Amino acid sequence: MDNKHIEMRGVRKSYRFFTLDDLSLDLEPGQIMGFVGPNGAGKSTTIRLAMGLIAADAGEVRLLGHLLPENQAIAKRDVGFVSDEMRLFAHATVGWHMNFIASIYPGWDAKYAATLIKRFNLKPEQPVKGLSHGEHVKALLMLSLARRPRVLILDEPTSGLDPVARHELLTEFMDVLRDDSRSILFSSHNTVDVERISDRIVFIDRGRIVDSRDKEDFLERWRRIQLQLAPGAILPELPNIVGRVVDGQFVTLTTNHFSNDLLARLGPTVREVHRMSLEEIFVASVFHHREVAGQ
Amino acid sequence: MNKLTSKLIAREFHQHRWLMAGTIAVGIVSLFVAGSGTPMLFNIGMLCWLTAIAAYGCVVAMLGIATERKERALLFVLSLPLSFGEYVRLKLFGLLLCFLVPWLTLTAGALVLVLVKADMPDGLMPFTILLCGFLLANFSFVLCSALFAKSEGFITLVIIVHNIAISLFIFLVGAIPGFFDHLKDPAPTWGTAFWTVLAIEAASLVVICSLPYFVVARRRDVI
Repeated sequence: MDNKHIEMRGVRKSYRFFTLDDLSLDLEPGQIMGFVGPNGAGKSTTIRLAMGLIAADAGEVRLLGHLLPENQAIAKRDVGFVSDEMRLFAHATVGWHMNFIASIYPGWDAKYAATLIKRFNLKPEQPVKGLSHGEHVKALLMLSLARRPRVLILDEPTSGLDPVARHELLTEFMDVLRDDSRSILFSSHNTVDVERISDRIVFIDRGRIVDSRDKEDFLERWRRIQLQLAPGAILPELPNIVGRVVDGQFVTLTTNHFSNDLLARLGPTVREVHRMSLEEIFVASVFHHREVAGQ
Repeated sequence: MNKLTSKLIAREFHQHRWLMAGTIAVGIVSLFVAGSGTPMLFNIGMLCWLTAIAAYGCVVAMLGIATERKERALLFVLSLPLSFGEYVRLKLFGLLLCFLVPWLTLTAGALVLVLVKADMPDGLMPFTILLCGFLLANFSFVLCSALFAKSEGFITLVIIVHNIAISLFIFLVGAIPGFFDHLKDPAPTWGTAFWTVLAIEAASLVVICSLPYFVVARRRDVI
């Protein structure tokens, strides 16, 4: 039986000035998928497609096996969705929202909600209109987490939060995955957050998926290699080099298929080999994709 | 209606409860003023009564739909297990109910005033009923337009049209031949003009409230 939590196949969504094209991705149970892209890359559009809030022009979107947007009401019973653009009812209190969500979702965990309230330093009697941005996001996440959803869909949830608040939230997300039947789709342009919690990473740029693989795979495949060439020597053509910066006899290569074979071919010219952070990989990957696509 | 939609409708009631109570209070005070005896007080009272119902309708539609969208609570509602079609239905039903409470109270109040006050001719009853029916249809126009609207400018335009329409209704219906002549009769005249206008109002109400089901509820992109 196909048990993918989110399944997108050949999805296309066009707007006047933007097109999301040929999008395919799978979110497996127990997986945290980091969805990384620059502003305007199509992250929120993808998330909204995954929630059934917008309909694809072509392709197929399934959430917990339910075809969207037609069956979104059933699918959303087991989904927690938080977006940085989302707000609670301004004239109600945090406690009112807790009672409201508890009355709708049978899986509401009051004990866990109380723990989160304490951990996030929220007060149930606090009116929503008096909450700061960070408190608002925490309240939204508390309401989503305490219903114990099978899938958490988070659209830039840590955007605009201070480092301490971000740390608290990311720790909570990791806790969710202790139960490996649950999964998280997490969109962000903050690669530090994504690198910290994701096990699968998707890069998106200008409406297209640039690369998608396991985090460790990304980190293992990408390297920055510094070379010092002998005077007058010419660097041979090498495969899988996505970036090359030449400064006199010093050359910095960026590869997305690092191997000992490559090092052997470069021989004694190699001075240093650097592992790359996810942010560096993301930026290099996006520029390489744009170069290849002639954009 | 499932549990979630019932809860959300109850929330509409909860959110607008003070507005509802305030409108009823202002409307009742206005009716007392209207029934105080002098033509001047009658005009002032009826104008305040009319304004209370009309303004309440606009505010409820704005707060219930446009402000919710502007304050981005719509995304929270749509994250809950309901479809956009269900959202449209619950908004229509919930906000219509929120309007009906003060509308029914103040309509009944106006009719009682006409019936009880000896110095007010009962011939005013048909016009009062038609005016109240128009206010209900006019509210449904604002409500459904707010569901259709994607910009604040459009909603502002709808409210302007709504306000102008009330004045036009009073002038146009009052000018129907054979209708105005009976306003001061000691007994109400339920003539063809009355039933025709009432039927048009009822039909308008049904058509206006049906449109969102067939158009807005079928939108595939809701955000």
